[in-house]
Amino acid sequence: MSEYRIQQHPILQFSLGRRVKFYFEGEALEGREGEPVAAALHAAGVKVLKYSAERERPRGFFCAIGNCSACLMRVDGRANVRTCLEPLREGMWIERQQGKGDLDA
Amino acid sequence: MARRAEVAIIGGGIIGCATAYELARLGMTDVIVFEKNYLTAGSTGRCGAGVRQQWGLEMNVRLARGSCKILESLNEDLQYDGDIGFDQGGYLVLAFDDSQMEQFRKNVKLQNSLGTPSRTVSVDEAAEIVPHINTEPLVGATFCPEDGHADPFHTTMAYAEAARRLGVDIRTYTEVTDIEVEGDRIRGVHTDDEEFISCGMVLNAAGPYSGPVAQMAGVEIPVYSERHQILVTEPVNRYQKPMVISFQHGFYCQQTPHGSFILGLGDPSEPKGFNIETSWQFMEHVAHSVLSVLPPLADLRVVRQWSGLYNITPDAQPILGGVPGLQDYYMAVGFSGHGFMVGPMTARLMAQMMTGEDMDMDISMLDLGRFDRGELIHEPSVV
Repeated sequence: MSEYRIQQHPILQFSLGRRVKFYFEGEALEGREGEPVAAALHAAGVKVLKYSAERERPRGFFCAIGNCSACLMRVDGRANVRTCLEPLREGMWIERQQGKGDLDA
Repeated sequence: MARRAEVAIIGGGIIGCATAYELARLGMTDVIVFEKNYLTAGSTGRCGAGVRQQWGLEMNVRLARGSCKILESLNEDLQYDGDIGFDQGGYLVLAFDDSQMEQFRKNVKLQNSLGTPSRTVSVDEAAEIVPHINTEPLVGATFCPEDGHADPFHTTMAYAEAARRLGVDIRTYTEVTDIEVEGDRIRGVHTDDEEFISCGMVLNAAGPYSGPVAQMAGVEIPVYSERHQILVTEPVNRYQKPMVISFQHGFYCQQTPHGSFILGLGDPSEPKGFNIETSWQFMEHVAHSVLSVLPPLADLRVVRQWSGLYNITPDAQPILGGVPGLQDYYMAVGFSGHGFMVGPMTARLMAQMMTGEDMDMDISMLDLGRFDRGELIHEPSVV
């Protein structure tokens, strides 16, 4: 287990899903089924989720509730997926998208 | 602050600001623009901002083509620091039956005779221009590569700043509360900061509020306002170049330079009035209509909705000019949803009319008197 994953929380209890394999930029990683894609990436040490459209500055996990657009990524070919809300599934293909994302997958 | 001006313009939208600039350019710099809110707060800043030359009447083609030509070099001509964002991706006008296509053929012939490079296109060509279009219900389309859209905020600001540099006084958050008339002449205007400003001429450019403003001068005009709603999506990389427009569904759909899609649709059952709330019914209605023609847009998330007011006349064409029996009162009102796209040319003509200059084109058919004479204008290509 990675050092980025909270193992023990003073208030909350986590029930972790089964271990599943997914892909980030073509690289195979492991996460827990059903957890947010961004959480799985974070646990795997991926801190840069995208680059800003205009100045191409790195953007990381930020609001975590689907509001801020910092975690928009290309998931299984779909652009602008809010990875902080998207549940992880086995075999998912996650990519950093270019610019504002492309509508045609 | 000046207590007198040669011209008082009521309304700080595209018409008011552009006319102020054009007046100043003709040497009439003693002009005050009164805007009760911020510039563009009425209809201009809420509009879909499309600019198309593809109209069915010579007068409208000329007004829109003239405006288009002005917009093409407006950044430079006004020495604007920003960018009016005039993006000429073209307009694809869709036909869903043979009678529509027949009308469009006539329109294109007229447009071509006036220099507009529009053309009729087959269903296959339409799909080349907009590859994600659902060709199934289509019969054909027309396309004009010079059409497009501009940023209504920047365009208005560009005019306002240029007008100010020429000496025009633009007063925002200043509402004209009354127009004082003596006999057959305008004396001046009262404002909500309890000022009376005497003036030689008044231009009613009040957009959705043109009716109440006309009444201040004792003038009744056959206009009403009607809500039209728009939604905007999240931005994506350039996907759709032209504006796609359907008279059949009453929608228009463009992708802005920023990447957001803007979708608008008229609701035939919309009541008259000044309501600018938004409704979920609109979102459902516009989504169904647009997605039936442009299915891939279904993957876009909606960011927000807003509404604006069309100021509508009995023939959906503007009222330009004065009023018999009342000197020095002018109107540029009732644009019925297409004021922005004809604004630059209209402003030039209004300034020419108000200063007694030769006019670039005849707009006498757009006078208020046409409604009494029964000479309504029948434009076949209105959304």
